Amino acid sequence: MNIATTGKASGLTAATKGFTLAAAVTVLFNTALSWAKDAYAPLQDFMKSLTGHHWTTHGLADLVVFAGLGIVFTRTKAVGMMDAGRLVGVLTASVAVAALGLVVWFAIH
Amino acid sequence: MTLIPTAISICDVLLLAHAGFGVTGCLAGVWVMVEALNARAENAGRIRAAAWLAAACMAGAWICGGYWYVHFYPAEKILILAGPWPFAHNVFMEVKEHLFFITGILALLLPVVARENLYANAIARRLVICVAGLIVVTGLAIEGAGAVIDHGVKVALLRSNGKEHRQ
Repeated sequence: MNIATTGKASGLTAATKGFTLAAAVTVLFNTALSWAKDAYAPLQDFMKSLTGHHWTTHGLADLVVFAGLGIVFTRTKAVGMMDAGRLVGVLTASVAVAALGLVVWFAIH
Repeated sequence: MTLIPTAISICDVLLLAHAGFGVTGCLAGVWVMVEALNARAENAGRIRAAAWLAAACMAGAWICGGYWYVHFYPAEKILILAGPWPFAHNVFMEVKEHLFFITGILALLLPVVARENLYANAIARRLVICVAGLIVVTGLAIEGAGAVIDHGVKVALLRSNGKEHRQ
């Protein structure tokens, strides 16, 4: 039976699973780092000292975490065995929590 | 023919390019969603091209907006904080500058997940629609925050200009 014609294939490639999970972790890391540097000035100063601006360092840190975890997760067996269907929920929940975390923090802080 | 003198600085170009890239990235996200909802073997190439367009546009918005934010925003920040809408910086810019990273990461993820054969895989189709949808929603929220920040500068300038006129 040809999968392409039935439309019933399931599962995702290791790279898709790995980088999707990496994105879910990275968006949460992004919010946690935003809170940390806003609450702890020495961290913000340290990040500023690395590239000249804390925002630039923050963005680079996110990219490194996303790419690094993506490569690691792609090669991790446990991630490869994850239920593909759950990844959609994990990513959506991570983005919702991360975005709401930023809004609430900066609205009340 | 009357020539209208213009004074468009690199600061203006970067800011408008940032917003333009952001809107185009959101539209590319909508394009991916629509194509993925109607995924067939024939439009697989278009889905991948649109996913790359979304990623490229968000990267452009990141670079242009980042350069503008680091080099030109501090002067506007002072104006906003001294004006009647300080929350335009304290809430909207603070959220925008950090929420943008989420949109950026999702935009970089999109071409990776769009490599799946969507027409033959319902889960992959759902994932691509989810990632593209999140790009659109967070991208539009960022665009809206940008408008509030701009208005924060405008009301600050209008107030200071009004004071000058009264003196």
